[in-house]
Amino acid sequence: MSLRFMKRKYHKADPKVVSGNLEDTIRFIQDALGQNEDFVTRRFHVFGHFSAVMFYFAKMVNEMSIKTDVLKPIMHGPPHLDDKDIHIDELQDVLLNESIYHSDAELENQLATLVEELLGGKTMIAVEGLDHAILIATWKIPERAIDEPGTEQVVLGPREGFIEQLGTNIALLRNRLQTPGLRVQSKKLGRMSHTKVAICYMDGTTEPELVQEVERRLDNIDIDVIGDIGYIEQMIEDNQYSPFPQLQTTERPDKTVANLAEGRVAILADGSPFAILLPVVWNQLYQTPEDYSNRLLMGNFIRIVRLIALMFALVSSSLYVAFISFHPELLPTDFAVAVASGRAGVPYPAVVEVLIIDVAMEILREASIRLPTQVGTALSIVGVLIIGEAAVQAGISSPITIIVVALATIGSFATPSYTGAFSLRMLRFPLIILSGMFGLYGLVIGILYIFNHMLSLKSFGVPYMSPVSPGNAQGWKDVVFRFPLWRFVKRPSFLDPSNRERFDQEETKRLSRQPSHTRD
Amino acid sequence: MGFPRQLTVQQVTAIIISTVLGVGLLPLPLFAVRAADTGAPLVTFLGVVLIFVGLAFVTLLGKRFPEKSIIHYSEDIVGKWLGRIGSLVIIVFFTVLTALAAREFGEVVIINILPATPMEVTVIVMLLTAAIFVRNDMNTFAYIHVFYLPVLFIPNAIIIALSVGDSDALYLQPLWGNDPSGMLPGIFTIASLLQGSFILTMIIPFMRSPEKAMKATVWAIVLAGLLCLSIVIATLGLFGPGETQHLLWPTLELARSITIPGEFLERLDIFFLVVFVVAVFTTLYGTYMFIVYSLKQLLRLQDHKLFSYFMLPIVFVIAMLPQNTLQLYEIVQRVGTAGLCLTVLYPILLYVIARIRRKKGRMAA
Repeated sequence: MSLRFMKRKYHKADPKVVSGNLEDTIRFIQDALGQNEDFVTRRFHVFGHFSAVMFYFAKMVNEMSIKTDVLKPIMHGPPHLDDKDIHIDELQDVLLNESIYHSDAELENQLATLVEELLGGKTMIAVEGLDHAILIATWKIPERAIDEPGTEQVVLGPREGFIEQLGTNIALLRNRLQTPGLRVQSKKLGRMSHTKVAICYMDGTTEPELVQEVERRLDNIDIDVIGDIGYIEQMIEDNQYSPFPQLQTTERPDKTVANLAEGRVAILADGSPFAILLPVVWNQLYQTPEDYSNRLLMGNFIRIVRLIALMFALVSSSLYVAFISFHPELLPTDFAVAVASGRAGVPYPAVVEVLIIDVAMEILREASIRLPTQVGTALSIVGVLIIGEAAVQAGISSPITIIVVALATIGSFATPSYTGAFSLRMLRFPLIILSGMFGLYGLVIGILYIFNHMLSLKSFGVPYMSPVSPGNAQGWKDVVFRFPLWRFVKRPSFLDPSNRERFDQEETKRLSRQPSHTRD
Repeated sequence: MGFPRQLTVQQVTAIIISTVLGVGLLPLPLFAVRAADTGAPLVTFLGVVLIFVGLAFVTLLGKRFPEKSIIHYSEDIVGKWLGRIGSLVIIVFFTVLTALAAREFGEVVIINILPATPMEVTVIVMLLTAAIFVRNDMNTFAYIHVFYLPVLFIPNAIIIALSVGDSDALYLQPLWGNDPSGMLPGIFTIASLLQGSFILTMIIPFMRSPEKAMKATVWAIVLAGLLCLSIVIATLGLFGPGETQHLLWPTLELARSITIPGEFLERLDIFFLVVFVVAVFTTLYGTYMFIVYSLKQLLRLQDHKLFSYFMLPIVFVIAMLPQNTLQLYEIVQRVGTAGLCLTVLYPILLYVIARIRRKKGRMAA
């Protein structure tokens, strides 16, 4: 709300606070909000003789509750006070403490705040002669059901994902972390949207300076509308020009809870089914909740598979280009002959061929996201099967190129973090071009640039490659292999948690003791 | 914030090792064998010892002046102008060293894998990579060196392990060689290949506990020295003293001679070479950082980033001066040996004078 605007219009009768003159208040509110179809101004009499007014936005509130919990009791007056004549001085107390049946009601006298809260879906009641208005949290925004998270599916694990309502999301978190340590601070961001943003952290575990830094960066945001949590992500990130995500977005409450418990901070925003987790280190790009919820060997196996997929996504096409155009002598002879015969009709150098197929693949992928689901399957069959087959027959590409590009694409789908997979997809192209120019030498130079860049990145002061370099023994338990859960005695030290110990060292000893059999 | 003193002993060890091990590993067995045929391992060992002596004095000086690098404390020890001249000579020497390393590797790449590519391109690519990342701070500098450390050791270890089966212990005898006359220049040449370790003087002021610097020095020289020694022994054992003298880059030939089981790839030398790109990068990165950082200190500036691109054309032009590979290695040997005066003698001299004049730096609380 623009306070300045109000000042200019109402400089005579102190425009900042409720005056007690009902007509002044009504005029002020109606001028500030203008003519709106969904805005309700309802005049009535409290206990039959104090004239009063109620404001609310009809489509944002629970009208049923207003009728029965608010309007009815304050029109009739409480039964036990039936005979007594209520004086204006007591009215405020009687209203708030004895009449209104709604649980969330408060007094407010700042007009600007009143307007803001009205816009947020609260109901406001002003009474002639009272210098405070009553705000009742009657908001009820339509929300969808809690659904399986679309971008991060698991086989074994919880099925619930965040939704667009901040309140529901916080409930999901609280339900999983029933400790007084969980703190939720809220802020309003966006000059026009007034989006409610919540900072969640564990008091006593999260480094307090980290929370302060998050608050500082959030306070620096000045924008009209926060469209999605992605807006916030971009504005608080360390390096916006980097291909790598320095904050993690997730739809999963279980993942958020695990990260909170490690000492990270989560940011949630109203209107977005995603939470931002920070700080982030690179190995979070390929971790999934399943790594931990699965049994040890299984969890490790799928993680290794995913790491290989990650490498495929990044280098398979450029490795192919380098081999074919510069170092065919490295390939075993039989295979080299097979490759050469497959490429016999292809008029372009390997780089151009791979680039064409790779770009086609990206177009297909983008198209299949945009298409309505009913048409999607048809497109993927036409696109992948028929065009791929036809491209080989027409001599645009060799069959092996199709295999290599398909491997890269499938590999990038296996990366759990959507934004992480995105960066690998993007970086594939410069690597292909470098390989086309300098063969394996170019590829290695490209990878060198990528790693050097990652090593110089920071996410909220934490080096991006953290458990690897700078090294940290505790962190290594979760880089390539995932150690048994009871080995994670301490929280990762690169997060600088105030409380290092996850549990007692004794736990490890207890678990390694000989189990007793019931039959003995 | 204050003065960022964060580097651990392990990080400093990694920085020294990866700066020492670089393109010099490729002709290393050739120089050693040329100096003392079967005595090559002994020459290598003595070369490592010589460089250790120099580095030990650099470390002692660093512990004596824990807040300063050689650029600053040399001014305290021998006076403002003499110290500055010394520093300038050191910077010039490292500029030449960086240029020659880039050129050597450019030469290796052109001859072995990219015969049609112009030399200028491969050299400028390597130098540019170093120059871009020199703009980072000293912590990131350390992270990068630590990260690539396994890349230095693993391929070399694999090659040495796979070649042991075909080697002949007779090629290693007699241990002291047949002709002792080439021994002394040989030691100097080997030591000159390892003098990148001098950049330790720049690192000590960033160490969390400079009094532990000697630990890093010893570890780094032992590990790097062992790798050099085993490469020389493996090459000599496989090819013999006669054959090794005819190979320009015997280490590369060693990689070429082995195959991995499974017939997965026909040749390994190209893989070895491209992995070696990383080793060369870390060397260039270390010495380039030293040039840029020392210039900053010499001119008493706030920020070293300024010089990263400024030095690039200078280094590049120096790299392009040698006419051909043979002349290049002639220059490498001469310049390298002369450089020992700076990286070994100069620190010893400074230390002695500092002791005599009782000059000592303080560690700020």
